[in-house]
Amino acid sequence: MDRAENDIKKRLNRVFRETFGDEKLEVFETMTAVDIDAWDSLMHVVLVVAIEKEFGITLNAAEVGKLENVGMMLTTIKKHTRK
Amino acid sequence: MNEDAKTKFLKALRNDIKTGEYQKVFSGLNRISMHTDDFLMQSKYAALFKAIPKDALALGEVRIAILATGTVSHFNDILSYWLAGEGLSAVIYEAPYGTVHQTILDPKSGLYAMKPDVVMIFTNYRDIKCDIPAGSSHEEAERVVKGAVGEFISLWHALRQNSDCYIMQNNADLPFHRVFGNYEGTAVWTRLNMLRNFNLELAKSVLPGVTIFDLDHISSAYGKKKWHDSRYWYHSKHAFALDATGLVAYDAAKVISATRGACKKCLIVDLDNTLWGGAIGDDGLEGIRLGNGPDGEAFVDFQKFLLKLKNRGIVLAVSSKNEEKIAKEPFLKHPHMQIKLDDVVAFRANWNDKVSNIKEIASSLNIGLDSIVFLDDNPAERQLVKSILPAVSVPELPEDPSNYRAALSSLSFFETVLFSGEDRAKTAYYRDNIKRSEFQEHFTDLSGYLENLDMEMTTGDFDSFNLPRIAQLINKSNQFHLTTTRYTESELKSVMEGDSSHCMYFKLKDCFGDNGLISAVILRKQGAETLSVDTWVMSCRVLSRGAEEFVCGRIVSQAKRIGCKKIVGKYIPTKRNRLVALLYERLGFKKVREGGGSTFWELDLDENTPPVYRTFIREAGKECI
Repeated sequence: MDRAENDIKKRLNRVFRETFGDEKLEVFETMTAVDIDAWDSLMHVVLVVAIEKEFGITLNAAEVGKLENVGMMLTTIKKHTRK
Repeated sequence: MNEDAKTKFLKALRNDIKTGEYQKVFSGLNRISMHTDDFLMQSKYAALFKAIPKDALALGEVRIAILATGTVSHFNDILSYWLAGEGLSAVIYEAPYGTVHQTILDPKSGLYAMKPDVVMIFTNYRDIKCDIPAGSSHEEAERVVKGAVGEFISLWHALRQNSDCYIMQNNADLPFHRVFGNYEGTAVWTRLNMLRNFNLELAKSVLPGVTIFDLDHISSAYGKKKWHDSRYWYHSKHAFALDATGLVAYDAAKVISATRGACKKCLIVDLDNTLWGGAIGDDGLEGIRLGNGPDGEAFVDFQKFLLKLKNRGIVLAVSSKNEEKIAKEPFLKHPHMQIKLDDVVAFRANWNDKVSNIKEIASSLNIGLDSIVFLDDNPAERQLVKSILPAVSVPELPEDPSNYRAALSSLSFFETVLFSGEDRAKTAYYRDNIKRSEFQEHFTDLSGYLENLDMEMTTGDFDSFNLPRIAQLINKSNQFHLTTTRYTESELKSVMEGDSSHCMYFKLKDCFGDNGLISAVILRKQGAETLSVDTWVMSCRVLSRGAEEFVCGRIVSQAKRIGCKKIVGKYIPTKRNRLVALLYERLGFKKVREGGGSTFWELDLDENTPPVYRTFIREAGKECI
């Protein structure tokens, strides 16, 4: 994992902690809503908006629907921030 | 406070939640949250607020049913937060997604089971069925618009049949996209003009107890292009930009609060750099900036705006650090001064601190601090008032007077769901009252004063002409209100048509002017011989003038007329109505019971000496309309 990638993961971890109000939370690539109790469809929207804000990106509607695990999030963020 | 600071502050509040310091968390949230903050911040406020146990804050309950054609779960939480700022604890029923019609039309639906105080029908422009072929005639356009509005009118009627709730119906948030471009503002059959006509027709069609929630205004103020960010509509049926949620929830909370009668009654303004540019004490009459020059014009327009608020019933008062004589000069002599001394009910130009002035004004007008808005260009004065009198609303004013109007307007302090002729005359009422108290100083005894007031009372049964004012009085009175009852106009309609209820109103005139409709009483017959006082409210403008004795005398005669031998009344204490805790005792009632803080009173009409209430009020005879 290069530095940029590591940096994205760190920031994403911070977004998760802030969104779910859990200071000990550690994200991993295959993490999905099943792994976090509070991650329901409602919180999913908050999470995605928080990601958009943290990374200063605007996801399109289709991408928003596909962000079902942390790995997908990392890939999507990378794609948008590389531009 | 910028966002980073707010985020840090919220973190600290999360710890306070853990240690159970709920009041501290709530006032902390109130201090930093702005309705203009983005969706994530709003979600954080709402989440923290949700973590406070409901009974930890002394909030009054409001039951709200939200029937929406889009996703409103986030909105509901954020609405609950902003309602708490209005002193209300929301119990929210959310109808299953997309079941507006079914829920309303089924008398057994969860909507009616939850007994809502307010029903919000929450739609968006996509729901309005008024597409017609290009080139259609005016008649055809009108027919289709009426049909689209008719669909909502029948929903309102259906709601009315099963519930006495207040109905909040939003209008259409006009879309950003246009098929015909600018021409959509020309031809009547275009989507945009059809929706514009729909909004007007909807407003024309409101029934008592229905209010239009102006979603189109909120969306315009926010910016149509941003508002119609459709990504989250396609993803999860969020009907408008998530970042506008705070704005919508804030305004909705203000309107819901207005349906409960809460309102700001008085605007206290500073003078130097608030009503004009510069300081009258230093710059003199010719030196202040008013009328001429860019900011001089801005001050004139701001004064005109304040006058319009005054004309709709918000009374104006002045608190300024100045010599009184000098401070009054512009009001008397400046050619561009819009506000005259007659427009101001209380003028406090002195060197006292503003907190004392505000308290004095509140007590001279007999209104609560929570019905006051204080405007001052000086941040230090604002801070002082905010910290010592947290109940007073103190908006931030921008540096530039050009933006004063917008700053005051965007906070939606003066929401109402009713307007009555009495509102227009309010300044005169308060001013006459102050004249009355000056007049009182000429008399050494109270009865001499009261006799010379030359009072005349007109009484009548509730009727539809007076109903808006009666509803307003019942819902806005806090101090002289014995039982805390609140009724919407439509509830009142069914009460006044009921066989077992007797509803009377009272209007008082005196040598200084007309006080208008100042008291309303709802009596209910219980069994064959008991008359119970369900509601008795009176305007505090007419306290200590024998009006309560007069009204009680009419309650007694009404009881006798319908063969009742006993009148029962109760007093339910609130934070604001201690004034009437011993009213019944004063009127000769006997206390029969106490319970849960309330007291229960009885007046036996069979006793040998029925009470005679002596007043100096003439009866004008029953009013017939």
